[in-house]
Order: sequence, then structure tokens, then C-alpha cells
Amino acid sequence: MDAYEILKSKGISIGDKIRVNSIEGILMPRTEFVESDVIVIKMSNGYNIGIKLKEETEVKLIEKKEGLVLEKPKTKRFDSNKPTVSILACGGTIASRVEYKTGAVFPSFSPEELIEAFPEIGEIANIKARKLFDLFSEDMQPEHWKIIAQEVAKEIESGVDGIVLMHGTDTMHYTSAALGFMLQDLPIPVILVGAQRSSDRGSSDNRINLVSAVLFAAMGEIAEVVVCMHESSNDDYCAIHRGTKVRKMHASRRDAFKSINISPLARVNYFERRIEYLTTNFKKRDKSRKLKLDTNINPNVGIFYFHPGAKPEFLREMGKFYEGIVIAATGLGHVGVNSGNDKLAKSFLPVIKELIEKGIPIVFAPQTIYGRLNMNVYSTGRILEKAGVIGNLCDWTIETALVKLMFVLGHTKDMNEIKKMMLTNIVGEISERSEHEL
Amino acid sequence: MNYKGLGLKVGLEIHFQLDVDRKLFCNCSSIMKEKEPIAIVKRKLHPVASELGEVDIAAQFEYLRNRNFFYEVFKNESCLVELDEEPPHNPNEEALKVALQIAKLFNCKIPEYIFVMRKTVIDGSNTSGFQRTMIVGFDGYFEFKGKKISITQICLEEDAAAIDKEENGNVYYKLNRLGIPLVEIDTGVIEGLEPKEIEEVAYQIFLISSSTGKIRRQIGAIRQDVNVSISGGERVEIKGVQKLSLISKVIEKEVERQSELIKKGEKVQKETRAAKEDGSTEFMRPLPGAERMYPETDVKPIKTENILKDLEVPEPLNKIIERYEKGYKLSKSLIESLLKTEYFFFFENVAKAFPKIEPSIIANILSATLKEIERKEKVEIKLSEERLLEFFDALNEGFVFKEAAYDILKKMNEGESVEEAVKELGLIPLTKEEILKIIEETKKEVSDKKKLIGIVLSKIRGRANISEVIKIIESLG
Repeated sequence: MDAYEILKSKGISIGDKIRVNSIEGILMPRTEFVESDVIVIKMSNGYNIGIKLKEETEVKLIEKKEGLVLEKPKTKRFDSNKPTVSILACGGTIASRVEYKTGAVFPSFSPEELIEAFPEIGEIANIKARKLFDLFSEDMQPEHWKIIAQEVAKEIESGVDGIVLMHGTDTMHYTSAALGFMLQDLPIPVILVGAQRSSDRGSSDNRINLVSAVLFAAMGEIAEVVVCMHESSNDDYCAIHRGTKVRKMHASRRDAFKSINISPLARVNYFERRIEYLTTNFKKRDKSRKLKLDTNINPNVGIFYFHPGAKPEFLREMGKFYEGIVIAATGLGHVGVNSGNDKLAKSFLPVIKELIEKGIPIVFAPQTIYGRLNMNVYSTGRILEKAGVIGNLCDWTIETALVKLMFVLGHTKDMNEIKKMMLTNIVGEISERSEHEL
Repeated sequence: MNYKGLGLKVGLEIHFQLDVDRKLFCNCSSIMKEKEPIAIVKRKLHPVASELGEVDIAAQFEYLRNRNFFYEVFKNESCLVELDEEPPHNPNEEALKVALQIAKLFNCKIPEYIFVMRKTVIDGSNTSGFQRTMIVGFDGYFEFKGKKISITQICLEEDAAAIDKEENGNVYYKLNRLGIPLVEIDTGVIEGLEPKEIEEVAYQIFLISSSTGKIRRQIGAIRQDVNVSISGGERVEIKGVQKLSLISKVIEKEVERQSELIKKGEKVQKETRAAKEDGSTEFMRPLPGAERMYPETDVKPIKTENILKDLEVPEPLNKIIERYEKGYKLSKSLIESLLKTEYFFFFENVAKAFPKIEPSIIANILSATLKEIERKEKVEIKLSEERLLEFFDALNEGFVFKEAAYDILKKMNEGESVEEAVKELGLIPLTKEEILKIIEETKKEVSDKKKLIGIVLSKIRGRANISEVIKIIESLG
């Protein structure tokens, strides 16, 4: 029988102080990794251990759980001399408090809690904060992007000077690209921010990222959707990346986010609270500019990753589920077309033609991540472009191509129109030049 | 001083680095041999909100505001895990086994599941802002002079980064020590013992742990914290006692300090003090409150059942001592002195490998001769176990003789091989013919047999087996 059920029948519940044989401590919730006859106890020295509850095990209730009253942080007064920044939480816990008594970690969302945890943000700006949703990065759906865009529009309407979106990092670059398309002609900066190290630890990158993001929201000149994350492994600068040109490039490092094929737009010096611009090629802050909110997207777009051994039949099958397909293509923009009639090679040309004929656009993006497609160089590229593949001379990331195709398909079904829109640089997702310095 | 009368109470926390190749939560080498860092990473630490309230946070915030931490990265010896740029890997199984062996040796209870915890540390010695630690055993004991010394807990944890330098709030740490498996053994309150005896208790803890053969012995690999109080005083924690042999002195000096304060009518403060090399202490900070711990959710709880099933608990030391006494016929005093060296377990390897050498000779060389070289020549013995085996091999084969041990080992310690040392010292073994020649020549000078033996022996010293030479003289009549 479940050990916690047995204890429950004895009137013992989680949080109570108990004695098990000679061990005294607080009964903790069970973690997912231990068996059902095991209870977890936080001993008086602070350590957790797991103990098997056997028939002969003596359990004694010593003290019922005390209601733990967390001190409520004080509210800060509104200061009309300071800019106002809205912080919207979409997921990923950028702030939390630890209850050492039980070892529990609670996420924080209220402005008071955020200011308590990061006093600097209160020094920089008046902070408005609220939670939109509390999602793991991987649970974020295109429908969520719409809600975020609408909420951002509301905040802009209310007259704030900048908006910070707290977001889990794994899919942050999808969201930033989507918001880029949905929130055009922004009057103020919209900044996505996250943390690669959990916020319960003193070393978390949350503070520098959030403080830099708030600083940029309050004072930054770039009125675009951007991502603000650590520039290097050092705790000194944050980089400001264009939302449509950024990608998470590392599973765990603080500086996981990199601008792809362009330089970051700016960097924030955390210590000096100073912004350094790295380009002039951006939309400037202008509170009088009228936001163009456009949340029409069609989420039925999928990615096919080409590889040796990949099956054309699978791509054909994808056509049953998706209304547009992005192919992560090799090199300059290739998938097998078997122009040499090799015995073993497979051609994707028939299925690509078939899908396009059905009205399903095929968009290429580089597997290499860095670099620009050029389908004029090899015959394979030329054949594919002629077949109607979209993407020649584009340097977008796979993720941005996916999001853009969703956006475009939210506006038209006409293949010519789709192609035209896709190849038009809407919010900086295609760079004009491939700079050597990168 | 009458320590019993003063109501001396002591608690020991003894830390040993484990002698395993890899770190506790990553595959970095735990052998700190790199000298120059390949990179330096700059970091800040920040307070984390907790139920401990705003004042606490404000204090931490102020403390950390003007402190920058610089971490020196060493090739092969630090990776993204130490840099807090990658989550911990699974715990080092060998380290876990050794820790559990130690827990067993101290008769500890072992939890069915071990949970790795994060202990909040904000001095920068851990890049993450916490130290990973886990209880592997609790409620244990061992016997000391017929008295039960209680062992309250045994933890396996990550060693912290060692401080390199500090200037104007910029603190430099070396990342190579961070993450080396460390075992902490905590005693209960020890009462009714003299400081010297408490030092022996620490020594016994070291010895019992050493039964695993996996305890590092270098300076800095063993560190003690000592809690001391006397009646009318307060508990004072003394951190960082680097040598076991300093414990009694540290206790004596602390008792003295507290007694004097009491005599002057001043209050003894609960505080943490740092041990200095001469055994005196200096104020470090007020005694911290309860440890701030919460679970390390990046590491799964460890089920001990499967590890314990195949865990061989090494022979406890008292058993080994018995065998040395009865099997190898070592005297009690010889065992005592062998225990004080780092060669206690090594002795048996040598004795087994080289049965032609009398065990007491091996023990004598390991416990006395090496010490004598250190004392007389004012050098440090740097001979590895392999090099010592080289010497004992030569002794076993009759290539060198025990009388020459001092001179040959001295030369070997300077870097010479056995052969080189023998040649240089003129200690090449004599042939029977050469021995006979020396006896004949000496006979011409002295006739008294006793005198003859004495002179011959001094002439052949270190170049032949004495008892064999005596036999030859006797047989010559």
C-alpha cells in the first residue's frame, strides 16, 4: 500500500514533523523517482532522505504542520519621473523564492515579488507585472503567440514605455519570430527574456538578463521584438538580438542565444547600466507610431529534416497533415533529386512537385544554420527552384521560416502570393548582406 | 589544565578528499596537476528570496553587491559543469561506493534513498551558489578506548573551489578543486576526553576511513572543523584545521581563550573562527544559522539497495592490526609507529610481495628509516609506492642489504635508481671470495674473534648479509 496513504490514515500529512524509528524530520512530498512504499523526510540538519515504510516501522506524529507565512514584500510607489515597464510572464520561472524549511521552490510573478528579488528593476522603472500563463517552453503553441501579441497590444495601448516578456528559453526564438510578424510598426521595445540557470540559485543568469531587459525596455531605442540574454559565459553584458534572427544554439550555456547571420543589435552593460548599439539598422522608438497588430496565422505548417536515407514517401505523407512544409535542406539548398540516375539514390522531386501542385508551399531553410541559400549554383538547386521551392537567397533560420510560413498562410492561399510574401523582407528576417565580420 | 573540570565539549567535522580519478558530478579529472588556467570567467552571485525575509536578503545583497568572482578554468580539470553552464551528470559511482563503505565502517544507518541537496553558499567558492551534498549514513559510532564515539552523519559532497587571490572585492577561485568528491564525517559531542585524546579520535576516524584505501593524504586533502565549548563559554566553530596533528593545539588554545574571557567576566561569542598554522585562531564571522538546503532536482534520488547488495566493506583497521601482530609478528610499538605513517596498508603489500624480507624489517624501514632521513637530512620524502617497491625488490633479491637502507633511500629520494645509488655509494654486494679476502686480511691485524667479527662487519656493512658473514667467520674457526 502507498506509504503516504498509510500515514494519512494515521492523521499524518505532508509538512508534519514526525519521527520514523529514530529519525526526526518533516514529511516531504514524494518525488517521481521513488517507489510507493518510500517516504521522503527532511531531517533536522536539512538533508532529505528516503525511508522504506515497513510494517514494523514506528511512525509518530510530533507536530502538525505550521502554516508558513511568507513575508509579503512592500509595494513600491509610482514615480512619474521614471519610465514604466510592463512585465508579462509567459512561462519559465525567472524569479522564485526558496522555502528552506521544506526545501520547496515557489515561482514569483507579482511586481512586488519581482522588485524584492531584483531591487534594481525598481530603481530603473515603475514596474507593472502580471502572469499570462505559466507554460513550459515546449508547451507553447502558435495559439499562445496570438494571446501574447494581443496582450502586448493592450499594454502598448495603456502607454507603457517598454514591455518585457518572461519566457522559457527552449522555444523562445519561435515566439520572438512570431511576435515579430504579428506586432509590426511597434512604437516601443518588446523584449523576450529568460534564464538558462534556475532562478533558485545565487548564480542564476536571471538577474542580469531581467535587469538588462527592463533597462532596455525603459531606455532602449530599438522598437522591435528582441531577445535579451547573456552575451558570453561572463556575467557582464547581455546581447540584444532581433527576434526573427535569433536562435538557441546551446542546450545549457548562459550565452545559448546567438544572432544568426547578423550581428546582435545592441548590448547592455549590466554594471554600468549602459546600452551600446552595434548597428543603426533598426526601427527607432517612437511612441506616436501606430502599432499594426496582425495575429492571423495558420499553424498547420511542419518541418521536414532532409538526411541521407530520408524517405520521399514520408514527405508525401506530411502533406496530409500540413498546409505548408519547411524543409531543412543541405548546403546551399539541396535535397536529393537523383539527376545522375543512381541505383540507390532517391529523388524528392516528384513528391515536391506533387505537393506544390496541391497548393502546399515548400520552403527551404539551411540545415547549416549559418549562411545563405543559393539555389543557382548546382543543378540540383536549379531544378528544385524551377519546381517551385521557395527560399533561394534567403538566410533565415529553419524556425523563422516555419513561423513566417504560418504567418503568410494566415493571409493567403495563392501560391504566387505566398511566394511573393515569403521572399519579401517583412521584419528583418532576411538580411540584405552577408557580413564578413560575423 | 583540568579539561574535565572545565567541562570541555568538542565536536569534530572531518573532511577527506576521495582518491578517485573523476569528479563527483562530471567526468573531469580530479587530479589537480595543471598549473596555468586556460580561461577566466567573471561571475556575480545574487541573493535568492526565501522565507528568511527581507532583512536577510538585504544583507546578502549588500555583501554581494561589490564582489566579483573570477573563475580560473583548467584544462581537463574543469568543464561546463564546474562553470555552472551545464547540469550535473550522474554521481560518480566509485565515490558513492567508497562513501557507503565508510558509512558501513562507522556502523551508520544508510537511507534507502539518498537525495542530493543544494546547500546555499554565497562566498563564491561554488559557481552555482550552492554546494551539492548528500547524507550517505547517520546514527553511527565507533569504539575508542572502550568508549563509544558517536558519528552523527556522513556526507558525500563536492569540494569547493580553492581561493587563489583576493583584491578589492575581486575574488579569484581555481575551478580544479571544485567538484572533487569529499566525504565529511561528523562526530557527536565528545566529552570527558583530553585534547590529545580528541586528536587521537580524529586520527582513528582517518584510519578507519583509510581502510577503504581511497582517502587522499596530501596536504589540503584533509581538513577539519572543530567545535569547542567549555562550561560558561559558548560553542565556537573553528574552520580549516589543515593537519590532524594540529587539533589538540587548536582545542587547547581555544579553551585558553574562552577561559580567559570568562575570567575577565566577558561573554564568549558564538562564532566561527579560522584556524591558523600555529593552532591559534582568528574571528571569521558570527556562527551561521541552520544550513539552507533544498533538493538538487537535477540529480535523481539514488536507491542504495542495489549498491549495497554488492558492496564489499573493507576490513576494519582493528582486524588488520590484529593480523599484523599475530601474522607478521610486529610488535605493538612497531604497529603504533607504522600507523602514524602513510604506509600502514602499504606494509602488507610489501610483506606479501617480498616474503624473503623479515616483516619487522619492512615495518622498520617504512616507519623509522624514512622518518630518520627526513629528520636528519631535513628533506621531504617524495618516494612513491612504486619507488619503494623498487627498493624492497632489491632488498628481497639480496642486491642491497638492510644496513644500507638509510643511504640508498636517501639517494633514491634525490631521484637516483637503486642501481645508481648502490654504485655511487660503493655498496655493490660482495662475492663470497671478496668476503673471504676481507676476513683473511683482517685476521692479519686482529686475532680476537669477537674483535674480528666487529671489524669485518663494519668493513662489509651494507654490502653483505651480516648473519651469513658471521657464519663464514665461525666456520673458519
